[in-house]
Amino acid sequence: MRRTELVFERPERVFAHEPPEVRGRARDDVRLLVTRPDGQHHARFEDLPRFLRAGDLLVVNESAAIPASLPAEGSLGPILLNLCTRFRSDLWIAEPRWSAGKPGPLPIEPGEELRIGSATARLLAPYPGIPRLWFALADRPFESMIAEYGGPIHYGYTDAWPMETYQTLFSRVPGSAEMPSAARPITPRIREQLEQAGVRIAPILLHTGVSSLEIETDTVEAQAMYPEPFAISADTADAVNRTHMNGDRVIAVGTTVVRALESAWTPEGLRPRTGFTRLFVNPDSGVRSVDGLLTGFHDPVTSHLALLTAFMGIDRVRDAYAEAIRAGYLWHEFGDSHLVIRQRDR
Amino acid sequence: MKPSHTVVQKIALITGASRGLGRVLAGFLAKQGYALIVMARNETDLHAAAKEFAAAGVPVVSILGDVSVPRDRLRLLEAAKRYGRIDLLVNNASDLGDTPLPPLENASRDTFLRVFDVNTLAPLALVREALPLLTRARGLVVNITSDAAVGGYPGWGVYGASKAALELVSKTLAAELKDREVAVVSVDPGDMRTQMHQDAYLGQDISDRPLPDVTLPFWAWLLSQPPMKVSGMRYQAQAAVWEVAA
Repeated sequence: MRRTELVFERPERVFAHEPPEVRGRARDDVRLLVTRPDGQHHARFEDLPRFLRAGDLLVVNESAAIPASLPAEGSLGPILLNLCTRFRSDLWIAEPRWSAGKPGPLPIEPGEELRIGSATARLLAPYPGIPRLWFALADRPFESMIAEYGGPIHYGYTDAWPMETYQTLFSRVPGSAEMPSAARPITPRIREQLEQAGVRIAPILLHTGVSSLEIETDTVEAQAMYPEPFAISADTADAVNRTHMNGDRVIAVGTTVVRALESAWTPEGLRPRTGFTRLFVNPDSGVRSVDGLLTGFHDPVTSHLALLTAFMGIDRVRDAYAEAIRAGYLWHEFGDSHLVIRQRDR
Repeated sequence: MKPSHTVVQKIALITGASRGLGRVLAGFLAKQGYALIVMARNETDLHAAAKEFAAAGVPVVSILGDVSVPRDRLRLLEAAKRYGRIDLLVNNASDLGDTPLPPLENASRDTFLRVFDVNTLAPLALVREALPLLTRARGLVVNITSDAAVGGYPGWGVYGASKAALELVSKTLAAELKDREVAVVSVDPGDMRTQMHQDAYLGQDISDRPLPDVTLPFWAWLLSQPPMKVSGMRYQAQAAVWEVAA
């Protein structure tokens, strides 16, 4: 697929700048656009159980966001070092940026030393194919810097909020550079209604890195990806396989869940798997593991949008997004939700 | 920057480190603070590579030699003995055999013996000789393999067979050395723009292949895993998923 096919225009007014609870509203007080084979449906998030049925399986990501944005000082003066992927305590992939609102790549050479409080990190080499990311080695565990100096990664369209804002009902294992945000509006009340409706919930783990990459290559599929740690338990693999066998639907809560499940998919179904994945779910690869996706609204020309396109086809993405823009749905991590249900590729 | 938390200096021994994949990996290890012991056959290339590694501020011992020559391997081991340990042994040096690559019906017995000697028997000999030092460090052995080991590609029969044998050696060693907590993996780096690849495709344009630094994310990952979690596995460095034992 050509990169240009993932370009679309949307006005700035669709950016969600703050979480609903800032204005005293509940987390689940957001809108829900439902895209099914029969068309678009406008709803509130609390209507979610209505669109699901007994036997459906929601798969959620148990990863919790960490304060991965570190103030740093190097040859260019004060910058930010946003941690992305942990290989081990002192070796991460990281993104040096001018500031929250101003990205890199920065004009730096391999060997650049950054001071982070009393610690030192060295940028060893750029990540192959993604020039804004670097391998960063520190003289002590990055975890100690995270604990002492870290703040939430955020971008120009929103402020940094307390870390609690970035956790979901399912956040259990700290490790994501950014919040896996699709489950954010699922409140205890909604979960209870889902359970009463006979919808089951199974966890996976995938620690997400820094924001969805803007695709830079002319061909979408040629874009390099960075790896992320993931784990799928035997219990969850079993639950997914049974759901498919029963003819019920597997609904991924977030693109991270789709990536994890597709990374463990085999012709015989899902199997338990632990490791790192940089699988790029794109229109060429397709999506085989899920029947539905609960997600947010994604930016133009990003890997997340490529995943959505892989899942529902470019024409249906265009229709849904045109409708979302027309009806004023809100984009980004604090915005509205989008439930996509489809017939599964077999 | 001295890695202040590194109590013990890690030691890596890499063969075929003067060019291509070996050079990129050794350079990355030097930047992470590993002391290096490297071997290669071309003096000019080896000299330049060693200078580049040492610029990272780590000790580098470079030895001109051939992995299939026992006397040369002995010199490698002597250097490692001074450290008393080997954390990482990378059997990367390989022989392609005759080029242009001949179909098996034309491959000579001498070439077969030479290629197996360098690609299969020498790595095994090095593991055997280094075993006390590997055991002391609970080290990791990485044997570089190729998709030719499983492919059945025309012309790649001699090289591929030697790598297929090396993969079985790796897997067997992983099982046999488990009790001593020495880990062994096979790594297929995938197609890359290297001199060896150019030699295999004489006169052809290979500029569409990625440079060997495409494997850096894999090395960063592999060398961060507890070795016994990866022992016995075969990895593709350019694959989308790298899995550990559950």
